[in-house]
Amino acid sequence: MTVVRCQRCLLSAGFPGIGFDTSGVCNVCRDATVLASLEKAIADARDQVSKLFAERHKPYDAIVCNSGGKDSSYTLALAVQKYGLRVLSFTLDNGFLAPKAFENIQRVTDALGVEQITYRPSIPFFRRVIRATSTLPIYREQTLTRISAGCNACISLVNTMALRIALEKEIPFILAGFTLGQIPANAIVFRNHYRFLEDSRRESLRRLTDAVGNEVEYYYTIPDAVLDRVATYPHNINLLCLEHLREDEIVAEVAKLGWRKPVGVDGCSSNCELNTFNNYVHERRFGFSPYELELSILVRKGLMSREEALRKVEDNPSERLACLADGLGLTNEERAGLGLATAPPLGRMV
Amino acid sequence: MSAEDTVRTALLEFVTRSFNVAEKDVRLDQSLIDQGIIDSFGLMEITAFIEQQFALKVREQDMTREAFGSMNKMARFVASRIQAPS
Repeated sequence: MTVVRCQRCLLSAGFPGIGFDTSGVCNVCRDATVLASLEKAIADARDQVSKLFAERHKPYDAIVCNSGGKDSSYTLALAVQKYGLRVLSFTLDNGFLAPKAFENIQRVTDALGVEQITYRPSIPFFRRVIRATSTLPIYREQTLTRISAGCNACISLVNTMALRIALEKEIPFILAGFTLGQIPANAIVFRNHYRFLEDSRRESLRRLTDAVGNEVEYYYTIPDAVLDRVATYPHNINLLCLEHLREDEIVAEVAKLGWRKPVGVDGCSSNCELNTFNNYVHERRFGFSPYELELSILVRKGLMSREEALRKVEDNPSERLACLADGLGLTNEERAGLGLATAPPLGRMV
Repeated sequence: MSAEDTVRTALLEFVTRSFNVAEKDVRLDQSLIDQGIIDSFGLMEITAFIEQQFALKVREQDMTREAFGSMNKMARFVASRIQAPS
């Protein structure tokens, strides 16, 4: 099936709020204020970061969420080499990280002389979460314009665990390797005020608990006993958004630290095999790739060609879906609902 | 037009533009979260917008449902901070 896309970026006709002019260019590309407001948000964030990083803290200045991918590896390097921070690298092992991602984490943290901790949640629990988010409307559609439901479930877990560690160790900054589009431009730097934000998560957590069970509370919330001791909440900072770099430049920089591109991942991931499944589910449900927003911004900023962006969203190794469905323990009914091969065929629409 | 009205108008313009929602679909006395208009990032976006647009600092103690629980509450909070800066 041919996807109708903006002729300038790559946003497709299925993307929320999109419209095309007679030349096939989308309303976002035509809006001259979009790039200007993006650049202003980046400049404001740079100012904030230079003020926030003026002081040093013990034992750590920052915890870095390190998935082993190129972006979080580069963020780790930025924190240490450019900003001179003392950091703790934190990885959530979701059971689907490519073997090479672990090698990359070890090589990069060793090269930078950084302490590394890896946390592996209950994998049967995590599989149930991914199954639920893939087959049920757990998250609001608005959240899913920039991320797939499965990735959102995983990243929420990462964020909760990183915040818990930051609060327990009194670490003032949480760094992550998100790029613009994966997060809104005016959320490059934000105060991670758990109690302020928890209202916005309550409904989705209730739906996830209904689907998966009470373990959700343990993994996705922070106990009152910890929150009651909080004097001040940490800032989340996405340093990569402040840089003006092409992907090949990022890869070249992290390669100097020993990072190597893994195999078995799709064009939009450099660490996680599950991404292919999450993308498939998202595209089937919404009709657009969860990476379109992020890639369209890179194209608009001149950091990636449209052709390169298209190659990335189209590089989805669908032959791996059956194996990933096995790894997640999907039932035949769930497979049928997702349009995946089953035997015997059963029908339950999601 | 009162300061509160001016703030509400600016907030409403930001919310409709940023979250792809029609003005008529935004209930001013109800939480934007409960209406399904924003998620946690949306809350951060609104906070950042308030800080930039009205040149005020949203402090940790301001981050409450009382101040951010609806468009009307946000307008009241911002107007009170503009009129009596701390």
